[in-house]
Parts: sequence; C-alpha cells; structure tokens
Amino acid sequence: MNPRHFARIGRYLLTFALVVVAVAAIYPLLFTVVSSVKTQSGFADDPLGLPAGITFENYLEAFRRMDMPRLLLNSLITTLGGLVLSVLAALLVAYAVTKLRFRGGKVVFLLIIVTLTIPSQAIIYPLYQTVLDLGMSGQYQGLILAYAAFGLPLGTYQLAGYFQQVPDELIEAARVDGAGHLTILFRLLAPIATPAIAALAIFNFVWMWNDLLLPLVIMGGSDSKTLMVGVSLLSGQYDVSVPLVSAGLIVALLPVLIVYLVFQRQLVSGALAGSGK
Amino acid sequence: MTISTAPVSDPVGADAPPAPTRRPPRPGRAREWWLGAALVLPALVLAVLFKLVPLVRGVITSFESSSGFGGGEFAGADNYTRMFDDPMVLTSFRNALLVVATLPVWIVLPLILALLIHQRSPGWKFFRAVYFVPYTIAPIVVGIMFRQILAPDGPLNALLRFVGLEPLAIEWLNGRYSALFSLVAVALWSFFGLGVMTYLAGLATIPEETLEAAYLDGAGFFRRLWSVVVPMLRPTVAYWSVLCASGVLIWLFPLIYALTQGGPGDATMLPEYLVFLTTFQFLDRGYGSAIGIALFVFVAVLSIFSVRHMFTEGTRKPR
Repeated sequence: MNPRHFARIGRYLLTFALVVVAVAAIYPLLFTVVSSVKTQSGFADDPLGLPAGITFENYLEAFRRMDMPRLLLNSLITTLGGLVLSVLAALLVAYAVTKLRFRGGKVVFLLIIVTLTIPSQAIIYPLYQTVLDLGMSGQYQGLILAYAAFGLPLGTYQLAGYFQQVPDELIEAARVDGAGHLTILFRLLAPIATPAIAALAIFNFVWMWNDLLLPLVIMGGSDSKTLMVGVSLLSGQYDVSVPLVSAGLIVALLPVLIVYLVFQRQLVSGALAGSGK
Repeated sequence: MTISTAPVSDPVGADAPPAPTRRPPRPGRAREWWLGAALVLPALVLAVLFKLVPLVRGVITSFESSSGFGGGEFAGADNYTRMFDDPMVLTSFRNALLVVATLPVWIVLPLILALLIHQRSPGWKFFRAVYFVPYTIAPIVVGIMFRQILAPDGPLNALLRFVGLEPLAIEWLNGRYSALFSLVAVALWSFFGLGVMTYLAGLATIPEETLEAAYLDGAGFFRRLWSVVVPMLRPTVAYWSVLCASGVLIWLFPLIYALTQGGPGDATMLPEYLVFLTTFQFLDRGYGSAIGIALFVFVAVLSIFSVRHMFTEGTRKPR
C-alpha cells in the first residue's frame, strides 16, 4: 500500500471521526425538537421515533404558562445591561493599565483579575444580602451590576492582552495629532480590538443569558425573573409532559442560537484574540 | 482574598514601567494619575461591591450561627469544626476532587478535535460551526434535555441496546459512580465546543510558512505537530486551562439542579450545590457561608496559577 492510499484512508477516518462527534453534538437538540412537536399520547406511544403528526400545541401551551414575552424581555434587559457595562468597564481599566500606566495601575489590575477566584456559588448568600441592602433585589439593576462584576475579570484580562500588543508609538502619534484619551480609546484602540471585543461580547452574552444561579437568587420569583428561571420553574411543575418541556426548552435556547449563527464569523475571527499571541 | 487595597499610594509606583527613554517626560503626569484613577473607578466599584464585600460578609457570617430567619450570633469556629464531621460536606469535596481529576480530558479532547478540524478536511467549516452549538445552549436547558436522553428508556440506552451493548445500558443518573460520571460527561458535552473554538483561534495564529518550512525540511505529520504546533499553541493551551481550572466546578451548578439534585444519596453532591441547598433550603446561613468559604479556598488554590499567568500576560511589556 503506497503512501497515497494511506493518506486517503486517513482522510476518511478523519471525516468519520468528525461526523461522529457532530452527531453527538447535535442529536440532543434534534431529539428535543422532535419531542416538542409530538402530542402527549404520541410521545407516550413512541418516545424515540419520529412523530406521527406535527403539532404546535406544546409551544402555545408553553407560551401561556410561562408568560414568555415578559421573560424574554427580562432576559434581554439584564443580559444587554450586564454585557455593555462589563465590556465598557473592562475597556477603561485595560486602557488605564496598559497605556496610561499610572501609579497603582498594576495593583488595580491584579485586584480585578484576582476576583476571578471568587465564584458566585461560594458567596451567593452574602451577595444576595448585599443586593438586598442596596435595595436592588428583584430589580433589573441588581442583576445587571452583578453580571457586570462577574464578567469583569476575564474581559479585563483579554482586552489588556490585546492593547498590550498595540505599539506605544501609535498612541504617541495620535496624541501629537491632538487626540484626547477618550478619542484614543474609542477611535483608535477599540477598533483595533474589535475582534476581541466581539468575542468577549458573544461570550458574555451566552453566559449571562444562560446563567441560572444569579437570576434565581437575585430575582427569585419576581416579575423580573429571567427566561432560565422560567424554564427551571416550568420543568419543576408536576403535571408537565416531556413534549411541553421540550417546547419550552426550544424557545429558551433559540435566541442564543440565532445570535451565534448570525455572528459566527466575528466569533471565529475574534475568539481569544487576546491570548493567541 | 487578602489582597489589601491600601497600598495604592505605596511603593507600587516603583515597579511601574519606567517611561521609555525616547519619550520626553510629560508634564501632565499628575493629571494622568487622576485620569487613570477615574478610568478604573467603575470596575473597582463593581469588583468591591459585588465580589469583595460579599466575600468579607461571607467570612463574617461563617463565624455566626444564623439559621432560620433570626439574626446571627457569634459562634466562633463552630461551623468550621462541624464541617469536618459532616459526611455530606466531606463527600461533596471528595466529589469535587474527582471532577477536578478529569481536567486533562477537558484540556486534551478539544485540542484533538481542533487539530482534526484544522486538517481542512471536506466540510470543516460545518464541523466547526456544529461543535460550538452545544455551548450556546443554556446549561439548565442542557440538564433538562439530558434528563430525557439519559433516562432508562431514553435514546442513549436504546442506541446501546441496538448496537448490542446491552450491559452498558444502565441507569445513568442513578448509580453511585455513574451519576457523577454522567454529570461530568454532560458538562463536557456542553463546554467542549468553546475549547475547540479557543484552540482553533490559537491554531490560526500559526503562520502557514512555518509549517511549510518544516514540511520541506522533511518533518512528518507528528513531528510537525510536536515540534511546531504544540509549542506555538502554548499560550492558547494555557488560556483554556485557566478557564477550565477556575470554571469546571462552577459550570456544574445548573446541571446538578436539573439532572440529579445532588443524588442519588450524595453521589453528585458538590460544594457549590451544597452551599445553595444549605443556605436557601435548610436556611442555615452561617453553615452555608462556611461551606462557601471552604469552596472559595478550594477554587482559589486551583486558580492561583491562572491568575499569575493572567497578570504577567496583561502587564508584560510590549515586544
């Protein structure tokens, strides 16, 4: 057998391995989609096979039970708020630390990335207490600020790594041309770091939208609870069927999936721009 | 977190990078300090208010016996000594160690997949897109989905029976060890795509020419992999390891919540879930806080290297 054959067989094996993983990655989603369009009796008769007929009754029922528009709006407000705030704060710190290099900058940088070691689970009650004391429990701003704080360490690290690669001469030149600090940050550095910011934004969007613990504790069962809390409550109800839960799940995962499919290119080009040096 | 915030005015400035010699000293130095301080203020407020203050309060609460709805009384180290006699707590941390022991899989498996995709076999863009899909699905949703998939009569067991592996068709979520294994496997399913994407981003920074040169020098596939790709990929591997080491325990909460609730027995009880349970279900806030602080120390020890790595990366002088 000559090397050429060898290479071809290798290619087939490679593609086969990739296909197997792809099936494993996508099947649970397909199973849930298929379950969600079955009738309850249809699911009981044949839980694994294709549905005999397609029904959207489950989706309507899920919308009715969960007050879906409200939940979607709540998730959107808190996610976007936390996202914008954490990226903005991270941008400012990264600039101050890497380009202004002011006294104490390194300490602040260390302080912020060290907070990465404080998981929300470890401090969940005192965090709740603090939010309560600030009068923000059950309020959008409580969750938004908490999200921003928890998104901060990785964002700061990533942007600092990115800014670090921009030569100082470029900044000096801009300053000679009369550019102020904010102009330099938002007109010069931010555009250069766009891939990193895009990746960061998508990363933050995904985890904030998908997070359960913080909204569960901070929002409780209030009217401002997020979609994930709604889903967890739905699946905890005693009379729900698998098709109904499945419909709820599909509605919950759709927004992020859409965002991902739309922004896929930015994500790929920007994923970890800060660390791939 | 014993980093003191005091030394802001301390000799820290001494190891601030000296202004490059080419640059004449600017008169605006003092003004720039205020500017720098103003720029870091929002982040500082967030970090202090929502992370450091709760941490300190957690430490204080952990020395109180505050259960039920009443206020706390000082209880000394009672909560901590109680932990060492509590089989539930000990099991939860033993389980945590078992989870941490799977870290090599978290680091290597996505690397292998990324390398396979990077071979540019037909449809690689499609695979790249598909592998990331699980990560976009909320863990709580993933948990509920897999509750159905891993059910005794669910699709996984149906598949195993179909291919003649009947003995492997077990109650995945209901065994002493299978439950924890299933939990970690589901978490891995949920997060491996992020790792693949991370590695692919790192691989993209390796110049084609370097690989080509190695190829022309007669280096075979594995030789190129080991001598060119792996060394150049080290920062990416480090970054992903950072993320996994500080994240792997944290990522499990919604999955435990949806899949096993810590059971059967305490087979999938992990500290992060136990804190939640103790605090909000058993309303034992002092004890819950003590477990929380123990968890914080556990995670901090795990991620101290990550933070050191991040600090040097973020403050390194530009090349």
